[in-house]
Amino acid sequence: MEHTFAVSIGGAAGQGVATPGNIFARIFARRGLHLNAYNAYQSIIRGGHTFLTIRTGPERVNSFGDRIDLLIPLNQDTMDRHLGLLGPGAAVVYNGDTVKPGAPADGVQLCPLPVSQLTKNSRNKVEQNTLAVGAGLSMMGIGFQPLAEVLTHQFKKKGEAVVAENIEVARSAYDYASSHFQPFARPLPMTDSRKAVLTGNMALAMGGAAAGVKFYCAYPMSPSTGVLHWMATHARKAGIMVRQVEDEIGVVNMAIGAAHAGVRAMCATSGGGFALMTEGLGMAAMIETPVVVIDVQRAGPSTGVPTKTEQGDLWQMLGAGHGDYPRIIVAPTSVLDCFKVIPEIHNLADRFQCPGIVLTDLLLSEGTSSVDSADLDFDVEIDRGDLITSASSNGTNGYKRYLFTESGVSPRAIPGVPGHNHTVATDEHMEDGVLISDEFTNPIKRRAMMEKRQRKTAGIEAAVAPPALIGPADADVTLIGWGSTAGVIEEAREILTEEGITANQLQIRWIVPLHGDAIVEILKRSHRTILIENNYSGQFARYLRSETSFVPDGYIRKYDGEPFMPHHIVDAVREQLAGQITMSVPMHEITV
Amino acid sequence: MSTTVPPPPKKVNRIGLEVLNYKGSKTTLCAGCGHNSISERIVECFYELGVEPWTIAKFSGIGCSSKSPAYFLGRSHGFNGVHGRMPAIATGALLANRTLLGVGVTGDGDTASIGIGQFIHMVRRNMPLIYVIENNGVYGLTKGQFSATADLGSTLKTGTVNDLPPFDCCALALRWGATFVARSFSGDKKQLQAIIKTAIAHNGLSVIDVISPCVTFNDHQGSTKSYSYMKEHESMLHELDFVPYYEDIAVEIPEGEVREVEMHDGSHLRIRKLHRDYDPTNRLAAATLLEEADARGEVLTGVLYVNTSKPTFLEQLDLVDQPIATLPESKTRPSRAVLDQVMEELR
Ligand SMILES: Cc1ncc(C[n+]2csc(CCOP(=O)(O)OP(=O)(O)O)c2C)c(N)n1
Ligand code: SF4
Ligand SMILES: [Mg+2]
Repeated sequence: MEHTFAVSIGGAAGQGVATPGNIFARIFARRGLHLNAYNAYQSIIRGGHTFLTIRTGPERVNSFGDRIDLLIPLNQDTMDRHLGLLGPGAAVVYNGDTVKPGAPADGVQLCPLPVSQLTKNSRNKVEQNTLAVGAGLSMMGIGFQPLAEVLTHQFKKKGEAVVAENIEVARSAYDYASSHFQPFARPLPMTDSRKAVLTGNMALAMGGAAAGVKFYCAYPMSPSTGVLHWMATHARKAGIMVRQVEDEIGVVNMAIGAAHAGVRAMCATSGGGFALMTEGLGMAAMIETPVVVIDVQRAGPSTGVPTKTEQGDLWQMLGAGHGDYPRIIVAPTSVLDCFKVIPEIHNLADRFQCPGIVLTDLLLSEGTSSVDSADLDFDVEIDRGDLITSASSNGTNGYKRYLFTESGVSPRAIPGVPGHNHTVATDEHMEDGVLISDEFTNPIKRRAMMEKRQRKTAGIEAAVAPPALIGPADADVTLIGWGSTAGVIEEAREILTEEGITANQLQIRWIVPLHGDAIVEILKRSHRTILIENNYSGQFARYLRSETSFVPDGYIRKYDGEPFMPHHIVDAVREQLAGQITMSVPMHEITV
Repeated sequence: MSTTVPPPPKKVNRIGLEVLNYKGSKTTLCAGCGHNSISERIVECFYELGVEPWTIAKFSGIGCSSKSPAYFLGRSHGFNGVHGRMPAIATGALLANRTLLGVGVTGDGDTASIGIGQFIHMVRRNMPLIYVIENNGVYGLTKGQFSATADLGSTLKTGTVNDLPPFDCCALALRWGATFVARSFSGDKKQLQAIIKTAIAHNGLSVIDVISPCVTFNDHQGSTKSYSYMKEHESMLHELDFVPYYEDIAVEIPEGEVREVEMHDGSHLRIRKLHRDYDPTNRLAAATLLEEADARGEVLTGVLYVNTSKPTFLEQLDLVDQPIATLPESKTRPSRAVLDQVMEELR
């Protein structure tokens, strides 16, 4: 990522940070530029501080980065808090009438806009945002036309007058910036492939559509609500039954009821809601009904920090529900991966008739990223596994729902198929499914049924490829991460390489099955291993140790609610390689 | 000449099935448990009406009552869920396949204690489902603790007195949207049959609260859910007859003595007035009756309320006729045109 450019817009919630953010994102994506955006915000609908960073560039942008090139403070508070983050070459564009700059670092350009003068002909109030976008684009060397197009698109519902007014003020700011401010040193290039821009939550929902999900239900909980919003907005058009249910207990049971009847069903929540779902998840495992649950992690415990990110639910997923049962857990590694993982896990859950859990976090789910449209493949293979949906005869043919098989997977007939009636029960059962828990004081039968279910784990493991090392085989250090940290670790490796430290990366996507042997095989060749995760206790480190006895040389952890930035990792790795420390907990410098 | 006598023709129902096709496995509940009588009524009703067993989906939670689906409709589909969560499970399954005929069987603990939230939300949805509460005032399966339908002041075998008032599931169902609400007694074969058959004919949620004594833990002096208490305190609203749609109803009935309600499928519920002037379509009147009976210490049984015109959840959702569970794979994903539109929104 040789050339990137980051814009940060800050203000009070409700001040309209999102609109200029969307405009920048659209313009970048239409120029064929990649982008990655992260919004640091507080759990207040109006008034709390919001700080959105959009980073763009001609190559894939893996994180929101370390450097801000253009700061747009919509209020004094943002100016005061964040001006200090700017370094040489950066600029701050602000309303010169209302916001006073502090003392910037050397080489930072102050760009006050005379807002009242530039907007004297207009009646609209929120336009200082549009002005800043106009000025910023002019300094980035992007022509005015793309902004005019996006503004037309953005405001067309409000009527022509509003469109015209917005274009006019944007133009005046654009021209003002051209004649009064220094342009940025490197103008932003263009590529010819227009990108699609989406959040992780949208990608998860769209992945559901691609997977043929017909039933989605949820109870709103940040930061998972975006999935429900996409689903609800597109339900009719896309032909998906979408229901908001009274609580997460209802959600998971309804999804399982629907899945059991034969549709692909999915739901999403965050840790607190997931806690309520665990009894249902065990039920799905026991009756061998596939269901996919997405857990979007936020900082816990309890309701914790609803608007902040963490990788703190891993053990909750590993231990969800009582008793032993096969489950599948996957942690997608990017916004695009959020899309791809959903059909994959539905196929596996269907094939192995067990619950599938998708573990994302606020960073990924609410983060925005550009994606090549062609990568959003809606024709992926759908594998429903051994599913019986019709039969010609209604005779009693001795169908056994839980037939003992070598794979542990028994052909699954849906309710209503003649000749295949059966009972599914949360109590232990025999091959025909009949609820005779009393008989399961019979140890031979209980053991046989337990082993039948558990045999599926071997099949699941074989169906998923083991993780692979990325980067040079013989590197100074191997960075281990899981799920959402993929991008930031990759960027940290690039920076380290420039500094003369070679690093490779083992990013774990499939949590269960883990492929422990393959992981150890890779890691035992590493000179030094450092495990990076966004939680306090090193949940993945503990899991890896419990499964493989492997103990890495060092750890980098963060549990302040904010994601890693590349320099956090780079500095920590440098420190650990140089000295004796094996545990780093970087400080987050941006506070909102 | 042969002297062997041909076996007598087997008795079958109108779709040619013997009653065996409607039975389940042998009950493992206590002898004399009210739940067993209810299972028998369910077998008779579905057999007599000639419902195809494989179109029926049984749902239950956890409890002695919730175990009972194993003892009826053995050729139907069954789902024994977790404690108190059957309403959501049934809702999901019936939304996914609207052609299934849902029969839920639950207990007073399953519904009124752990599952009261799910119950009320289900009531609100008016999902087509027959929901039978086998109400014995205790948790039979966990050895006889009070449930949330136990009457204030009633006692356990140990002498423990219940210190909280009961939930009346019929009152809740009436108030929040069920479209067929009835109460019965497991010992009243005729009334319970007519009620279950009417529920089968009803299009919407049927809540049937059946007092079903637990002989092992709640059939003693001091219980208000015992056989003897019911003998003394049951107050029947009326006598009921169910006339299925395929039977002739031409019999003339004298005006004023009988009230007829036509059900969704053309069947008729005939209500013979006993001692009360009663309109089963008047929800407010039904609520008042319940309150009054309560004040008198009576257990009112019969059909409390029928509403054949309120749209069901399925109608309200404007769901396609074909079950979404069995759509061909080509129809499980959004169309190309929709996807193009979705992609356009992202640029
Ligand atoms: C979550 C949960 N809590 C507790 C139990 C234990 N339990 C099983 S059945 C039952 C009560 C059943 O009472 P009811 O629904 O009235 O059924 P009955 O046995 O009286 O027919 C309880 C508390 C359970 N299975 N699950
Ligand atoms: S314990 Fe009570 S409810 Fe359970 S089977 Fe025996 S009599 Fe019936
Ligand atoms: Mg009970």
